[in-house]
Amino acid sequence: MLEISHIDVYYGDLQALWDVSLAIGDGEIVTLVGSNGAGKSTLMKTISGLLKVRAGYIDCDSIRLDRLSPHRIVELGISMVPEGRRLFPQMSVLENLEMGASIKPARRTRHNALTWIYDLFPILKERAKQMAGTLSGGEQQMLAIGRALMLQPKILLIDEMSSGLSPLLVQELCQVIQDINKVKKMTVFLVEQDVQLALSMAHRGYVIENGRIVDQGDAKLLLSNARIKEAYLGVGQENKAD
Amino acid sequence: MSFTGKKLLIIGLVAIVLFVPPLVIEMGTATMNLLVLLFIFIILSQSWNLIGGYTGQINLGLAAFFGCGLLVTHFVWKAGIPIYFAVVAGGLAAVVLAVIIGLPTLRLKGAYFAIGTFALAEVCRIVVGNMFARMVKMPGSYAIDYNLIPRYYLGLIVAIITVAIVYLVTHSKVGLAMVAIRDDEQAAQVTGVNTFKYKVYALLTSSFLAGLAGGVYAFLRLSFHNITAVFSPIWTFEPLMAVIIGGAGTLSGPVIGSVFLVVLSEIFALTLGEAHLIIFGLLFILVVMFSPYGIIGSVGRIRQMMSRVGRST
Amino acid sequence: MEIVFQSIANGILVGALYGLVALGLGLLMGVMKFLNIAHGTFIILGGYVSFWLFNLWGIDPFLSIPVVVIVMFFIGLVLYKLAFSPLLKLPTIGMRIDTSMLVTFGLIWVLDNVMTMLWTPDTRTIITTYTGETLKVFGTRFSITGLGGLSVAVLVALILYVVLSRTYFGKHIRAATQDAEAASLCGINVNRVYLFSSGIAIALAGVAGVVIVSTYSINASGGISWLLIAFVVMILAGEGNINAIIPAGVVFGLLEAGSVLVVGVPYRQAIALLVFIVVLIFKPQGLFAKKD
Repeated sequence: MLEISHIDVYYGDLQALWDVSLAIGDGEIVTLVGSNGAGKSTLMKTISGLLKVRAGYIDCDSIRLDRLSPHRIVELGISMVPEGRRLFPQMSVLENLEMGASIKPARRTRHNALTWIYDLFPILKERAKQMAGTLSGGEQQMLAIGRALMLQPKILLIDEMSSGLSPLLVQELCQVIQDINKVKKMTVFLVEQDVQLALSMAHRGYVIENGRIVDQGDAKLLLSNARIKEAYLGVGQENKAD
Repeated sequence: MSFTGKKLLIIGLVAIVLFVPPLVIEMGTATMNLLVLLFIFIILSQSWNLIGGYTGQINLGLAAFFGCGLLVTHFVWKAGIPIYFAVVAGGLAAVVLAVIIGLPTLRLKGAYFAIGTFALAEVCRIVVGNMFARMVKMPGSYAIDYNLIPRYYLGLIVAIITVAIVYLVTHSKVGLAMVAIRDDEQAAQVTGVNTFKYKVYALLTSSFLAGLAGGVYAFLRLSFHNITAVFSPIWTFEPLMAVIIGGAGTLSGPVIGSVFLVVLSEIFALTLGEAHLIIFGLLFILVVMFSPYGIIGSVGRIRQMMSRVGRST
Repeated sequence: MEIVFQSIANGILVGALYGLVALGLGLLMGVMKFLNIAHGTFIILGGYVSFWLFNLWGIDPFLSIPVVVIVMFFIGLVLYKLAFSPLLKLPTIGMRIDTSMLVTFGLIWVLDNVMTMLWTPDTRTIITTYTGETLKVFGTRFSITGLGGLSVAVLVALILYVVLSRTYFGKHIRAATQDAEAASLCGINVNRVYLFSSGIAIALAGVAGVVIVSTYSINASGGISWLLIAFVVMILAGEGNINAIIPAGVVFGLLEAGSVLVVGVPYRQAIALLVFIVVLIFKPQGLFAKKD
């Protein structure tokens, strides 16, 4: 289980997260929603070790994450699909996937993992030798997810999956994620700007505003919550002007 | 601020101290030579300071402007024109050189600018080496009247003018733009600053000053056995060192750094020989890694710390 | 016509060496965005190691290469630990490049003068039984040492290519070069990649030095001129484009050889440099740049 406890995170001298706490149980799909700049990606970067906490701690099955460097966190079985995909543009699809299995234990099982990924995303097999930089947006997102899955992780972190993709493709990807979660019991934590999408996919959700958690609970309940509806879904009374 | 007032007073006093002695005391050729060299270093390091310290463009081709100024001054003076005009001519020639070869390189960023200016300086060195069969000499008549005192004053005056020019530029709108470019060129561009224009100002002024320095050196040395030596990268690297160690992007930093370098190399050359350059190199590395603001910066930070201590008690 | 062929031959031989000279610099710049201005100095250092191995124990320079590689590799590791890794904390790439330039510039002063103190400013060269010998093929002369240099350059480039494209370690290097953060998210220990890349880069400089001391000569302050060549070839090849460095070196070598035909020996480097500057201004991504 992944536990984030009362963390403060800064960008240089600017505070971005205040006293943030979350818990993500084994086998759950949990989501964090909020608008642009609310702190979602900051939290993701902190969990994966790219940013450090200035207060509080992050814990995964009794192992402290917040002091580890990113590659150590990967070794613990936590894999991230970063915002903007961050593929290796001058490496082929196959090489990008191989990079997902960089740590020694993953290298041993990479053939099986590769078969699995090609099953999930047949287009990647088709384009295996192509340079990642030449793929379309949707294909790149599939590759990014595939690369993270090569680790066969315990916990999959996804940062802004839907950005720039067609709704149809996003639905497909959601289905894939949900299937993996059911079949492989993979824990998924995703941050999303598309509140409707995220809450319909997840078991539980958290809402973040200006670096603070303001709401949490069962995803379906949150979805029908009047305040959420008004603030993020544009339903009900007039939208607040920004 | 009273501190600036005090600073000006000290500078004024120092200036007077510098002007008077040669008229009344017999200072000895070694000392005088050393002082003129010091002045040349101050001019050169302020020159690099403008483009490198304030504008953040690391120029590795300063030697080309130095050598160019030197050559033009030499020939203009040889043709009979008084030395002060010849030196100015040298400065202007360096500006012309900067327009021809420097402006195109300004389109380059960071490392490419450094490499490009370095390569151009080398081209100059090779061309000059081939044009002037090495030795460049003054007629004997110039050597007969040789006296270090005029050279001392030329060096001193040009050095003072240099510091004044740098002061005026950096305390103007141009100076603000330069620092903005150094800190974040993209941000500066986005806020509407014409970064190219200001880089040009910085480069042209910098080359002018470097050319003046070359002119002073031409006056000092008269003849050169191996003319390519004045285009050697050393004439870029030593001022660069003086600026970084003294404090880049400050007015007094290059002066302090130059004094430091010249004085220390005299002391060390006597005791340690080659080793003094090694110590400078190590000092330079330490400064870059731990105190990027040089000696001036450390002084500033110590003063900040002291004032904080004062306030809390 | 014979002169043209000879020029081409000379250009290729010297150009391969130029490429070899640039490999270490290009690797470091591509992987870590560090500009190692002391690169020329390390080349000279490698030359000295080979020189002393030859003079003290009679080891042929080309055979001394493995020893030089090991020694210089360790020096590269130390260099990373002491001078490079602190700079990784700098916030922007621009600052990293600038600061690495300055730090390595200071290193030149330290190392050049240490070498001068240890081994005097005298010019050193290695004279073996085959120094000065040439091979004549269809009327064109190829110097034996030049051919040796060409072979070394090609061999090294090949090894580098295989490592980068076929081994995990090589792929980790490429990944870290293209996106260091993403690489660490894949579980790649980027600091270790940087550490070994530094070792390899300095080792490459050392190998170039061995070829130079046996083909030409070295002296303690000769690093700067080789640095300039490394700069030029690296930029001609394009940033991060390791595989294009030897070809780019050959292009520059041919350019120089060609200039000799046109303007004669004294100005040949100047012409080549001028062409380089023109390329720099109009196509700074290099002659061999890949389109993204």
